[in-house]
Amino acid sequence: MGASIRRRLMLLVLASIALVWAIALASSYRQASREVAQWEEARLAELAQMLALLDQSNLATLANAHIDVREEERGGATSANDSDDDDSLPRDALFQVRARNGEVIAGSPPLRALNAWDLPVPRVTGTQDVMLNGEMYHSFTLRDTALGHTVRVFEQANTRSDLVSGVASRIARPALIALPVLALLVWSSIGWSLAPLRILSGAIRSRGINRLEPVDIGHVPTEVRPLVDAINLLLSRLLHSLERERAFTADAAHELKTPLAAIKVQAQVALAEPDAARQRLAMERVVQGVDRSARLAEQLLLLARLDMHEKMSTAPLAPGEAARNAWIANERNAQQKNLHVTLNCDMRAAIDAEPVLIGILFDNLLDNAIKYGCEGGSIEIAVRTVKDPTRDAVQERVVVSVRDDGPGVAPADLARLANRFFRATGNQATGSGLGLSIVARIAEHFGGRVHFGRGIDGRGLAVEVSFPAYTAVPDERLQPVA
Amino acid sequence: MRVLLVEDDDLIGCGIEAGLRQAGFTVDWARDGHKAGLALDTTSYELLLLDLGLPRVSGMDLLKRLRDAGKDMPVLVLTARGTVADRVGGLEAGADDYLGKPFDLSELIARCRALLRRAQGRSVEVIRYRDLTVNPSAQSVEVSGTRVSLTAREWAILLQLITNQGIPQSRARLEESLYGWQEEIESNAIEVHVSNLRKKLGAKLIRTVRNIGYVVEKE
Repeated sequence: MGASIRRRLMLLVLASIALVWAIALASSYRQASREVAQWEEARLAELAQMLALLDQSNLATLANAHIDVREEERGGATSANDSDDDDSLPRDALFQVRARNGEVIAGSPPLRALNAWDLPVPRVTGTQDVMLNGEMYHSFTLRDTALGHTVRVFEQANTRSDLVSGVASRIARPALIALPVLALLVWSSIGWSLAPLRILSGAIRSRGINRLEPVDIGHVPTEVRPLVDAINLLLSRLLHSLERERAFTADAAHELKTPLAAIKVQAQVALAEPDAARQRLAMERVVQGVDRSARLAEQLLLLARLDMHEKMSTAPLAPGEAARNAWIANERNAQQKNLHVTLNCDMRAAIDAEPVLIGILFDNLLDNAIKYGCEGGSIEIAVRTVKDPTRDAVQERVVVSVRDDGPGVAPADLARLANRFFRATGNQATGSGLGLSIVARIAEHFGGRVHFGRGIDGRGLAVEVSFPAYTAVPDERLQPVA
Repeated sequence: MRVLLVEDDDLIGCGIEAGLRQAGFTVDWARDGHKAGLALDTTSYELLLLDLGLPRVSGMDLLKRLRDAGKDMPVLVLTARGTVADRVGGLEAGADDYLGKPFDLSELIARCRALLRRAQGRSVEVIRYRDLTVNPSAQSVEVSGTRVSLTAREWAILLQLITNQGIPQSRARLEESLYGWQEEIESNAIEVHVSNLRKKLGAKLIRTVRNIGYVVEKE
């Protein structure tokens, strides 16, 4: 079973109540026992004073009678079968009266049995606790200065603690009955207070995967409000990403339909064409169309993979190397358009990235530059290290750029270049409109920023991607050599 | 029959162009909305094939501009975005028919013919005129049940005249229907083709309208 707020609250509340009650009980007990002690002391003193007033013959008679303290206490008013009476032991008080010379004038006979007949008498008036025959007795000594008598009264101690525990149990009993009732009340009120959480989870559980509108469960307590807000924020983000995904799927389907339509039309032309040369031309175009769909599918898959992975394994690499490889791979295409490609790379510049993806990034940039460049124009690939002006001087960035001197892109379209499936107006080259979105997505993965601007001599297009420069972590260098 | 194809995709464009040529149409192909607008201003087309996703001027804008200018030629819209809303939008903007990509070339041509037929006020494909039976889709002509073979140019002129019965067609108009942008116009060619048609189909079929051109009289 997981942690339950209800059970924890329940335990905390009941434990607090029990603690407070225990403290109250303890202090009441102490108060009660102090009061009982004072009262008993006063009673013993009263008894001693009464005995001091009696003459010798009366004392002798009294010695042989029982003095039941309870009769005095109750004054005969309460009935004998009082159910509250937990003090059922006989409460006989014992006494001894001595003359000035220490001779015993009178005494309760049980004192002999308790070996207390010849106990030394304290010199002062007051209470003492004495041990008689292994049992604790309270005693009160009264020195009567007028007659010179010393009166001592004894009473068994346990009778007093009985009285005190009676008081304590009378206080504790309602608490013991109240606790279960309280527990029930606390349990149900906590359950009632947690109802909004249950309603919330019910509202979320009953949702289909396509219902992403904000959760509205009516009145929400302030404690649950942040949770509802957080869920709604998550839902709105989900909805946004789902909408983007749907738009992307629709665009992708549209883009895939175009080469398919081309393939179909060309194949049908080839089927109906009697002229062999024209038929061959149509078939070649069918192959072109298939190549185009394959490339598009590849790009879509790459984008999907890029979207899927939040984190990618990286290694320090030189973008100059990747630029050179891309240049070699695209050399033939560039030659076909008579394009002059220059490579101006700082080979020591390093970034932390994934080599295959950086290769794809350069491929896309170069492919675009070749596709949209002018016949006989030039392309410039550069990799350089710059100090990042927005941070402290220690921070370096590696800027990768591909510039051409083609027709370029209208300023209004620059901002939309990295949008998926966007193709700048007025271009004739066949493209999916995904190349720069892929570049932007790859750059994003490795902390890069993409910037579009004017190309060579203020003409054409320049695409710049700046990555944080890779620097060996200082800690690695400091590691002791084994 | 001269048609204007407006399509930005090279592969689709040249495929449709070749397919329409095979079916006997004279095709001009514009790759963007701007060029299409210029072509529509300077040449009269029997039919417009329009892709909606065009660079520079969108297909929808072009269509609205065309209808605002009072041109009522049939328009067949081609697009990869085949949702109901797209189709309704296209039709309401003045399109006559709608075909989603990828489509069948034979269906495209059949729809083109149907649109042309409707524009010419016919309900059947085969045109009967006196002892003549002209079948545009089969590109065949029969005189009293006997098949006569015609060259592509003769066929185009016959079709232009017989689908516009009673309306004199100028030489320039006939030339327009005969030659696309890439083709050289031969001088005096129309007279030669008309004289050949008269030999093959009978002298009374095509009447010369002095200083204007030629006409096939209303039946």
